[in-house]
Amino acid sequence: MHGRRLALLCLGNDLHGDDGFGPAVGRRLAAQGLPEPWQLVQAGTRGMEALAALQGCDAAIVVDAAAPAGQPGCLRHWRPEEIALESAAADHGMGLGWVLRALQSVHAAAATQAPRLRILTAEMSELSAFRLGLSVPVQAAVPGAMAQLQRWMQEMQDEPAAC
Amino acid sequence: MARIELNVDLNRVEGDLAVKVVLEDGVVREAHTAGTMYRGFEQILVGRTPRDAMVITPRVCGICGTAHLYAAVLALEQAWGTPVPPNATRIRNLCLIAEGLQNDLRQTFLFFAADLCHARYAGHPLHAAVLAAFEPFKGTIYRESLAITRRVLEIVAHFGGQWPHSSYMLPGGVVTAPDTRRLIACRAILDEFQRWYETQVIGAPLHDWLALDTAERYLEWTERPGPATAALGLITRFMRSQGLHRLGVGTPHMISFGAWCDPERWGPPYDAHLLRSGFYDGDSRQVLPLQQEHIREHVRHSWFKPYPGGRHPFDGETVPDYQPGTDRYSWAKAPRYEGRVVQTGPLAELLIGGDALVRDLHDREGGGAWLRQFARVRRVGYELLHARRMLDELGTHLKAPHFEPPAPGTETDGQGCGLVMAARGALGHWVQLKDGLVQRYQIITPTAWNASPRDSDGRPGHWESSLVGLAVQDPNDPVEIGLAIRSHDPCLVCTVHFVEGAQGTTPAGATPPRPFRIGA
Repeated sequence: MHGRRLALLCLGNDLHGDDGFGPAVGRRLAAQGLPEPWQLVQAGTRGMEALAALQGCDAAIVVDAAAPAGQPGCLRHWRPEEIALESAAADHGMGLGWVLRALQSVHAAAATQAPRLRILTAEMSELSAFRLGLSVPVQAAVPGAMAQLQRWMQEMQDEPAAC
Repeated sequence: MARIELNVDLNRVEGDLAVKVVLEDGVVREAHTAGTMYRGFEQILVGRTPRDAMVITPRVCGICGTAHLYAAVLALEQAWGTPVPPNATRIRNLCLIAEGLQNDLRQTFLFFAADLCHARYAGHPLHAAVLAAFEPFKGTIYRESLAITRRVLEIVAHFGGQWPHSSYMLPGGVVTAPDTRRLIACRAILDEFQRWYETQVIGAPLHDWLALDTAERYLEWTERPGPATAALGLITRFMRSQGLHRLGVGTPHMISFGAWCDPERWGPPYDAHLLRSGFYDGDSRQVLPLQQEHIREHVRHSWFKPYPGGRHPFDGETVPDYQPGTDRYSWAKAPRYEGRVVQTGPLAELLIGGDALVRDLHDREGGGAWLRQFARVRRVGYELLHARRMLDELGTHLKAPHFEPPAPGTETDGQGCGLVMAARGALGHWVQLKDGLVQRYQIITPTAWNASPRDSDGRPGHWESSLVGLAVQDPNDPVEIGLAIRSHDPCLVCTVHFVEGAQGTTPAGATPPRPFRIGA
């Protein structure tokens, strides 16, 4: 177990309503503490830095908000390959689709193993720029997400390290 | 668990910059660039204690926080007449350079070169080589840029504890002394970086490359085996063969605040730089001394409380006044120098700073998307040279002070400005202090110069004018506009809105303007 790097990344922007789901979950996790040796990274909207935080991890969990699709607050577990590359290159605000591809790319280039990944999202009620606070359904999804993340951290910690 | 059919959209922050163009027969007739977000840092700082600027202003930008920190500290030091020990300036310069290296390579190889991989160019003889180097996630240069730009920021972390948004400078110096361990670590990073730059980017030793001084020699050099297939050679050969060196020229006037304060000579009148500051008059083709007193900001077409004409930042204000549905269209002001529209960035920095090659290329064929991009990659050479010089000098002055607190009684009311060359060009902070608090704070960013809206006289900004006349092959996929805008290293997510046909001639029932994202 010694020397393994396990990271839980929360992505999103608190200033944009339900986009703050990841950061809100991160704050709750920080308050109650993560099991050793998990590290919490509040990455906000910084894709390049999220990439740096994921590089070299054995396993990682990413928490983010998903686009509105009629079931606000719905939690979903994604496999990395299901996350589409953003339709627009957002320059310095690289999105998760970009981060995941870049992660594969840098590990392939260095002939190293990319981290095992699980991704959890909550579906947003709506895109709301510059509004503080989560909508009621997304706020209600936080406890379920916390429980799910606790299970995942335990499971992934127990999985044998890739060699 | 329920299923979601849509993709996770993580570029959900709306573009903070919009470019609207009017096409006539496939040619851009008119362009408007609009900052779509209010920044407001100027207002945040009013009424605060002056040193708060060291914590608050690095957050203006997620890419060039060190440049904002540097400008903020210079402004206060000027206001208080605070001397700065040479070692502090060396460390500041070193970190600013590290931030610049990060930006210049990411902009070039992650953002700009990706457009050169476009399917439109599939028939070009260099297409396969361009893909092999720059294709997102697959190209060798793309992949290596991801790794090396992460590494170079460690230099800022050594002295600033973190990057971005670090606050390690303060009036009178920096917080961390140079020690041998840090210097060795930074040197190792620069060595690695320089090796990569020499082998992969320019295909030659740094000194040979910087010694090139004429367009003729450079173009001949670019055909040689090493340089021809290195990343910059590929970009140059590809872009020039496509005529992209004539794309997006814009205003002929340029401004540079001077690259890197000279550690030994820094002090009043605050104009000693390693690469000189100045104003390049595009009409007379002369570089004139910079006089920041000539800067004015106009708000005639911006969403700020109106005032007539232009105002110097020491008389300026940034009071938001959103007026949708009028002829005002941007949250950016329109800065002008002696009433002229100017551009800034690495091209301005090197041309004004005295790089003979950039000057000769510009004299012969003017500016454009290629030369701007070329200058950005060439600047990396200067950055490496001067970063090493800073490290060498720190090594020989290891015991000299890195901080000398302002003398008692010198933190008086007054005013000062801090002018630096950030990665994207001229960045200025202007501060006025009264009763020990910030009474006025004004910031002009590089992108404010480049992406400015129209001014009081209705003259378009630099980007706006650089797009006019551009022929767009496919309005559904305006690669040309993407290349022209990206060559300026826009600091903002870019969104283009198209209006087809001349205004007023669009037939009733025609398709309404549709949003279009560059790089889609």
